Amino acid sequence: MTDITAQSAPGARFLTRERIIKWTPLLVLVFLVLLFPFFEWLEDFGAGKEHMYLADSRFFSIRNAARIFIAATPALMVAIGVTFIIIMGSIDLSMEGTVSVCAVIFAFAFIGWGGTLASWAWLAIPVALLVGAALGFINGLVHVRLKIPSFMASLAMGFVGTGLALLLTGGDRIRVEDELFRSLLTVRWFNFPIMVYVAAVMLLIAWFIQSRTTLGRNFYAVGGGEELAHASGLNVNRVRIMGFTLAGVFFAVGALLAVGRIGIAETATGNNFMFVSITSVVVGGTALWGGIGGVWNTLVGVLIVNVINNGMVVIGLPNFLQDGVLGILVILAVVLSTDRKSVSFVK
Amino acid sequence: MSFIKKFIEQEKISRRNLLLASAYGISGAAAMRMFGPSPVQAATYADPTIAWSYRNRTNPYWNEIVSGGEAFVESLGKPKDSLTHLINEGSSEKSLADVKALLAKTNGELALAIDTNDAPNCRPVVEACAGAGAYVSTLWNKTDDLHPWDFGDNYVSHMTWSDEKPAEQTARILLEAIGGKGGVVHLGGIASNNPAIERLQGLKNALKDYPDVELLDAQPADWDTQKANQIMSSFITRYGDEITGVHCANDTIGYGVLEALRAEGMSVPIVTYDGNPQAVELVAKGDILATVFTNPHWGGGVTAALAYHAATGAFKPSEEPNEHREFYGPTIMITPEDAVEFKAAYLDNVPTYDWKDFWGPSNGQILYK
Amino acid sequence: MYELRQVDKHFPGVHALKAVDFKVNRHEIVGLVGENGAGKSTLMKVIYGAYQPDGGDVLIDGTVVRFQNPRMAMDHGIGMVFQEQSLILNLTVMENIFLGYEQQFVKLGVIDWKAMSEAARRQLAKVKLDIDPAMTTSDLSFAQRQLVELAKVLTLEERIDGDLVILLDEPTSVLAQEEVELLFSLVRDLTKRASFIFVSHRMEEVLELSDRIYVMKDGAVVDVVAHDGADKDAIQHKMVGRDVDKEYYREQKQKPYDEDKVLVRFDGVSSGNRYTDISFALHPGEVLCLVGTEGSGREAILRTIFGLETPTKGQVTIKGETISRFTAQNGVKLGVGYTPRERKIEGIVAGMNVYENMTLSQMGNYASAGVLKVNEEKSLARTWIERLGIKTPDVYKDCGGLSGGNQQKVVLAKWRSAGADIMLLDHPTRGLDIGAKEDVYEMIREMCAAGVGVVLVADTLEEAIGLSHTIIVLKDGAFQKRFDGKPGSKPSLYDLVHHMI
Repeated sequence: MTDITAQSAPGARFLTRERIIKWTPLLVLVFLVLLFPFFEWLEDFGAGKEHMYLADSRFFSIRNAARIFIAATPALMVAIGVTFIIIMGSIDLSMEGTVSVCAVIFAFAFIGWGGTLASWAWLAIPVALLVGAALGFINGLVHVRLKIPSFMASLAMGFVGTGLALLLTGGDRIRVEDELFRSLLTVRWFNFPIMVYVAAVMLLIAWFIQSRTTLGRNFYAVGGGEELAHASGLNVNRVRIMGFTLAGVFFAVGALLAVGRIGIAETATGNNFMFVSITSVVVGGTALWGGIGGVWNTLVGVLIVNVINNGMVVIGLPNFLQDGVLGILVILAVVLSTDRKSVSFVK
Repeated sequence: MSFIKKFIEQEKISRRNLLLASAYGISGAAAMRMFGPSPVQAATYADPTIAWSYRNRTNPYWNEIVSGGEAFVESLGKPKDSLTHLINEGSSEKSLADVKALLAKTNGELALAIDTNDAPNCRPVVEACAGAGAYVSTLWNKTDDLHPWDFGDNYVSHMTWSDEKPAEQTARILLEAIGGKGGVVHLGGIASNNPAIERLQGLKNALKDYPDVELLDAQPADWDTQKANQIMSSFITRYGDEITGVHCANDTIGYGVLEALRAEGMSVPIVTYDGNPQAVELVAKGDILATVFTNPHWGGGVTAALAYHAATGAFKPSEEPNEHREFYGPTIMITPEDAVEFKAAYLDNVPTYDWKDFWGPSNGQILYK
Repeated sequence: MYELRQVDKHFPGVHALKAVDFKVNRHEIVGLVGENGAGKSTLMKVIYGAYQPDGGDVLIDGTVVRFQNPRMAMDHGIGMVFQEQSLILNLTVMENIFLGYEQQFVKLGVIDWKAMSEAARRQLAKVKLDIDPAMTTSDLSFAQRQLVELAKVLTLEERIDGDLVILLDEPTSVLAQEEVELLFSLVRDLTKRASFIFVSHRMEEVLELSDRIYVMKDGAVVDVVAHDGADKDAIQHKMVGRDVDKEYYREQKQKPYDEDKVLVRFDGVSSGNRYTDISFALHPGEVLCLVGTEGSGREAILRTIFGLETPTKGQVTIKGETISRFTAQNGVKLGVGYTPRERKIEGIVAGMNVYENMTLSQMGNYASAGVLKVNEEKSLARTWIERLGIKTPDVYKDCGGLSGGNQQKVVLAKWRSAGADIMLLDHPTRGLDIGAKEDVYEMIREMCAAGVGVVLVADTLEEAIGLSHTIIVLKDGAFQKRFDGKPGSKPSLYDLVHHMI
């Protein structure tokens, strides 16, 4: 009699804990989307101007939605990559270096092979994806074969990446001016630039991987119970390495979209992606210890972060408050998504 | 194996000697200070190690500074890599520790050019150098109460730039271009950075003469292209067509702003700062109205040159007037009219500078408010 | 002086303690025996304050007390020497001894290590252990650690004015014979100062040391015998005495197994010190039950068959193939299925739903080029939900939210649907209610009928006897006896217990 398994109560209630946790991020997003127009209304009301809530909102408009999406797409790709890793219960902090290297190599290859998508320069795109995959693969190999904790291995790989990008550029920026490539940003279908559609397609691919492939299933199995995955005959190490490789590919896509958005590839292209992507994944409700969450959570998380960034400026709040608000959100997200009774040690 | 062993042995011995020497040097310097400024000529060296200590090379601005240092070293007939790089990665502690290590290694035979990362760090660095008998020239960061002439010959010089005036000039160009009315936004550097504060102040000074122009908003964009891009698109949401001009704290921010405008199909006049090659090209094309060139290449070169020539005894800093010890670096305004000419002169060919003309392009003695 | 009156303790689905009366007198050593699951651990946890009873009273010297936590119990002089040693291995001996009570050595905010070392030496002297208190605990032998553990509890002596009650939970399980004798003489010595409650599987030791012995069964105290009146056989009968319900274990469905074919064969297999020189054969349709106390090597044998543990000696043959590489992947490939005791850790992935759990070990069969055929997975899951009567609203239900019995069925379905014909069941009914247990028994019979060989580590001896064709009794990793369990001529509980302890 050392252990007695508790029987779970029949879950007939509508507002179960799991349900609340599952939908909280989306509710937060909706709340934020309605909150910022309220501040706008308040401002105009104070100034005695006519203002119909939402209808007259500058924030709550298609054009601003497009702006938020443009800002969000590169971060979304990077965050999706790291989502897979976090589902496995590991973490990948190599994104800043990987993004920089992919962006820089892409730009060099693109310029070197003709400088326009209409020439052989389009090959620079698969090359960048391969570079991302290779960096992720090495990352996974270092983590698994040398048995270095993933956060340390990937952090180190990130530094290697940043150094490599610096070595390649010597600190310079490379401009990618091709109109065809920049149409990612400049050409709009139904109010949204092409890069948003590219990101949407990648999101669907990620969703397919997550829900419809053995690889995706294995991520959850490893994250939910590594022992068990092992005891079910899975090659856990192989799953891990493939996970890091896949993440590298998504980082590369993020790099391409970042270059598409700014038209510049440089060592600094990867800056801030670590904070934004990890924050987004956590705020979206993917648990840091693995097994729970997915790419839709990440989409919601990325949108929350970007809506805050955009909304704060739109309502004219000082910039330093943004980071503070984001920090509080991260803590809230972890508090809400953790059943802290079941976690005995917090390390 | 034996090679490495030998190397380690040698290092050990020389290190011990150096420690002794530097201990002696410090006490010597202390004694010197006790008796007030000494008329005695500080020791000079025939071939001092030349070093540049800075944040890192990722930033194009610092890249330019260091390339100036390299150009100077080459002008002495030495290979480029004989310049020692101390990279502090934005840490004042690392900056100081690296300098001390190098002082120990070179036995004080050092000509150091340095940005100490933050102003308070300047004093310990300068004291460490003076104590070891090394020669140091500083760039950018220094507290107002610290002056080269208080250290005899060893603290050779300090150079900085006042950004307020040039930023005011670019602002005037912008405000004229929009016809003296409408609304402008400012995207700044890291909020607590001195240049960021000065550049915003320059805009505010100019605005006093243009009562019909409103400063709609000013947000820090942390010198970052992507952040500037996001903030600009948020500004567009908030102010839309009210924005008739954009004042950017540097070129990097300007690139992000231009892309945000491009995504919206908007065209609004903008001015930037720093005069990076790509920005100059954009000025030539008319996409940017004006930028300011501070010639970091020359700044980096001449800072190293001052320290080196003082160390070799080619000139005696304590005999120079104060405006040769603390001075402003050069600023050159670049507008579409002269952009092409400027590009040809400064960017397409890096001019060969006379590194012994220490003060020619400089901008007068530093004034404290 | 320490007394429990009519103490009750319930857990969801289990009545763990039933109106237990329990008493410890001054200078007395009380033994506590019972089968696995009889309620000994729960009773001990109530005594040292880890559990709070639902009913009844705890009295010290006639006053009712209520402990919220073990620390409160310690403040009343009740200490516990843990079976799984509670020492922190990377700390020094003295730090361990005074863990949580360092305050007494703090001077001006700094720990006076010298004083602590002195004090620790005094404690160690009580257990006649002459070691440097500044040694790192991991450098000690098991026996020494056990004594340090005891020394740690004996610090109560200085802190408490009243009487001490010290619980010893299986203190001898890792000790050699002479170390056991040393410990016993020490304990007898210490009765001058403290009373002891001694819990052990080794009946001889309990008989030797205890003044009185409490016998527990199914959460109740069934007898209290004095040292002089104690008889090993009588006690063992009381521990297990219960009428076995033949219907309950589906004995009528027990069919003879196929003796001509062998699924698993062990030939003189040893694995470190966990078990030595084990031989047996498992046939299709057979339930082979490994019986022994905790740590007798039962689980290690299961893990070896599955491939999680590599034996150091002997030969393992599965379906005629001699195994050279012991990996779980290999085990799964050979058609071995394993339902571990800790379902939450090795059985199901909480967070994954029913069909995802079911196909976890056989994803290759439900995917082409890495793309899953989710519809086939779902229909498989639906088939098995119906077949085993798994109570779940749908196939999308998170397995972590199912009841224990249904989780167990999902695990069984996982292996059975993958075509496993060697099933290793480790405590498959642990923590299940009666109905769910019967479902599991039913499934075991069905598997046998389908030609599956089952190796079982049962939750109780009755279960072992009722379900098995063959019983192998183990003790301390060594083979003791093999029983045939044909219906009608099954061994008695007493037969088994006799060889177990």
